[in-house]
Amino acid sequence: MTEEVLTQVPGNVWKVLVKPGDKVKPDDVLFILEVMKTEVPHVATQAGTVAAVHIGEGQEGVDAGTVAVTIGDHSP
Amino acid sequence: MLEVVKPGLETSIQDYPGRIGHWAQGFPPSGPMDAWSFRLANLLVGNQPGAAGLECQFVGPSLKFQRDTVIAVSGADMKPTLDGQAIPIWESVAVKRGQTLALSFATVGARAYIAVAGGIDTEPSLGSRSTFHKAGVGGMDGHALKPGQVVPVGNGSGKAGRRVKPDVRPPIPTDKRWTVEVVAGPNDDWVDEAGRQRFLSTDWKLSSKSDRTGFRLEGPQWTFTGKAYNKAPEHGSEPSNIIDQGYPVGAINLAGQTPIILVNDGPSMGGFINPYTVPSAAFWKLGQSKPAELLRFKIVTVEEAQDLRRSIDELCSERSIV
Repeated sequence: MTEEVLTQVPGNVWKVLVKPGDKVKPDDVLFILEVMKTEVPHVATQAGTVAAVHIGEGQEGVDAGTVAVTIGDHSP
Repeated sequence: MLEVVKPGLETSIQDYPGRIGHWAQGFPPSGPMDAWSFRLANLLVGNQPGAAGLECQFVGPSLKFQRDTVIAVSGADMKPTLDGQAIPIWESVAVKRGQTLALSFATVGARAYIAVAGGIDTEPSLGSRSTFHKAGVGGMDGHALKPGQVVPVGNGSGKAGRRVKPDVRPPIPTDKRWTVEVVAGPNDDWVDEAGRQRFLSTDWKLSSKSDRTGFRLEGPQWTFTGKAYNKAPEHGSEPSNIIDQGYPVGAINLAGQTPIILVNDGPSMGGFINPYTVPSAAFWKLGQSKPAELLRFKIVTVEEAQDLRRSIDELCSERSIV
């Protein structure tokens, strides 16, 4: 099963904490958006391996509901 | 009564026109940033237009109702659901005791408003229920909603199925571009002619470091007249420094080279110039704009700004409801 992690707020990409190939588990923070001077962390909801990161640090004006990170199955 | 299940992002209790009459002591008006959408939500549920409701910012809350009532959601579209079923915005909806209203993230616009029949009935502070978190006054304990809080609601008798006519809702643009009215002054004579033209011909980018205190703008450098340079040392060393002065609500405050629009929870005074002021009639546009959207400013006279305000006030009436 792949998981697509969507942005939950519109804003700027403050930090991206994972890269393709990283192993993640539920509640690991994947990336952090910034809006209203507030950090909004986004976490994985399932374990797996990061297949793709679709956003970049410093990217501005990302809409809510954008696919930001794709997580693939744990097993290769 | 309604229970906060999830608070959303700095969801706060606000009323309109907010905490008026205490600016001289440093208290800003607070209140909803988009008072147009806010007042229409109250009218839908049979409240006075200024009754206390909730302002939801970018990500909405989940709220569980402890009695039957009528609600309305307006402003930004946060795809509200009631026990998982989509409900419309700009329309009053009956809610049963035990049901949960959940708002998601803002798709169109940035701020949604929730009105509840009877209005939110927290203890007013200095004549208003509006939350001003920097002073810890108003709202629930002076701050944004927290999980587990139970928000008191007054007695109301709303009717479900009332709608706001489509042509009287604030027109939120879909191309991420806004035209925002400004009046010149109080310190426009500190900016030179080239600087004034640059201000009015630039697409200013809204920074993500913007909140209910100030809306920070990114754009070109400012240039100044002799007033900014040939001044007494008490003014300060930067061209945009001035001896501490009172700030109008809506001032475009020039902090060094960065313009910051001082909005509902902004400061009442300070030592920077304010070359332009956004009139209250344009505040709804700021309230519904998102980071990285582009703001173009359009100069209007004080009289034109007042006319705009009156025309929005007239739309916030029972005539707009069907």
